[in-house]
Amino acid sequence: MLAYRFLFTQLVRRELRQKYKGSALGVVWYLVNPLVMMGAYTLMFGAILKVQNIPDYPLFLMVGLAVWSFFQASLTAAADSLILQGSLVRKARFPREAIPAATVTVQAVTLCAVLALVTVITLAIRGTWTPWLALVPVFLVALYLFLLGLALAVSVLHAYFRDVLPIIQAGLLPLFFLTPIYFNTGHLGYVERHPWIATVLNWVNPVAPFIEGLRAIIYAGAAPGVGRVLYGVLAAAVALLVGRTLFLRMQGELAVVL
Amino acid sequence: MSPRTPLVPGEILLEHATRSFDVRADAAGTLRGLFSRAGVSAELTPERIPALLDVSLRIGPGETVGIVGRNGAGKTSTLKVLAGIIPLHHGRAACGGRVVSLLELAAGFSRDFSGRENIYLQGALYGFNRNEIDARLPDIIEFSELGHFIEVPIRTYSQGMLLRLGFSIAVHLDADVMLIDEVLAVGDEGFQGKCLVRIADRIGAGATLVLVSHDLSAIERACRRVVVLDHGRVVFDGEVAAGLERYRTLVRTETEATL
Repeated sequence: MLAYRFLFTQLVRRELRQKYKGSALGVVWYLVNPLVMMGAYTLMFGAILKVQNIPDYPLFLMVGLAVWSFFQASLTAAADSLILQGSLVRKARFPREAIPAATVTVQAVTLCAVLALVTVITLAIRGTWTPWLALVPVFLVALYLFLLGLALAVSVLHAYFRDVLPIIQAGLLPLFFLTPIYFNTGHLGYVERHPWIATVLNWVNPVAPFIEGLRAIIYAGAAPGVGRVLYGVLAAAVALLVGRTLFLRMQGELAVVL
Repeated sequence: MSPRTPLVPGEILLEHATRSFDVRADAAGTLRGLFSRAGVSAELTPERIPALLDVSLRIGPGETVGIVGRNGAGKTSTLKVLAGIIPLHHGRAACGGRVVSLLELAAGFSRDFSGRENIYLQGALYGFNRNEIDARLPDIIEFSELGHFIEVPIRTYSQGMLLRLGFSIAVHLDADVMLIDEVLAVGDEGFQGKCLVRIADRIGAGATLVLVSHDLSAIERACRRVVVLDHGRVVFDGEVAAGLERYRTLVRTETEATL
């Protein structure tokens, strides 16, 4: 596995370059797309629908949106990754995990760039300087490993069963609206009358604790909550274990099906 | 001898190797296929055609072996199994040392990247690191005769240029086992000769060559042992002239049968 470290870095660098290859703005697009999305959602949920009265709404939105975009882009890109790199799989014997892992890593670069920008702006505007910021890397590493596990699973499943990606895409749309990206679960009128709904929204959806945790730290300057940290670490461990097991069990026939 | 003795570099071992393929178009793409572990079952049903049936071979370091057989005899499957790209259903396949394969011309290349970048990628696929590839880069580029085209995306390459690049990389990766399928025939005579010299050097150093080809003269030139496969079984294993004769007989009987 260690002998293939160079392969992994090669795959990551190639994909980073390929992503915006031949475009005039190049890497700037990493930041432009999320910022445009932030603008659109601010207008929609902050001004037109007025979901909740939240101060500095674009900043509130942006933390959740960055995490969600990473989640969504990693899953969809990873599902296709083995198929796109089928020519490598048919060429030689190498740890094929490197392919979906490289895809997630490329997405993680975008996440870090966007989140760094958002954090700097939020700290400057809201002054949320707290020692809790030290926990941001913990959440990010856990989130990265969580998606690495999911990516291993969906990439190998989609290689055999080409309906996996459409199923994921269909599932991501409703999940977006149920994820506390543009709202605060506790302050929804309906939820205040039925508190159990908040529990479901906050803990059943595996993305929610990551978003709530990071937003507590960056946006609110508050403690992320021990529960969310543990949840993140545990989700990462379970996803990695399941994803890796599934990948290793199923990868044998990849050169045949790709 | 114990079946798990580690192989010396260049040694190749196939023990009762058996592998079949599902020929149904939707073999793996169904939910059922998914839950039955994606076609891993090895039973021979009408939809499963055998590619290798109980094949046992032992090839020693420094040997040059040509594999011949009619279409669908299991030649390419044998190479893919040896390269570790597809698994066996029964039996064991193992190669000692570093295995380098040239199975499909374009495999492992990425079209939008330059020849130089593709050298790094291919090297990385075989587990080389940057320094190891840096050290070989000038030799590979010179051997390929691609000149300034090495900086150009390979989607602009002709088949011949692609072949030269692929071969130049493969012969500079210090292979202990070289697995070559057909592709040798694509290049021009001059480049072919250069490759054969380079391959002969490696073989002199203890590397092993397994060549699959329909070009019998290429086999005669490069190999000193021939294995004839038919319907997934070894029907001949031995000296080149006798092996090629056996193969010609097989092709003749087939032609006669269809007439």
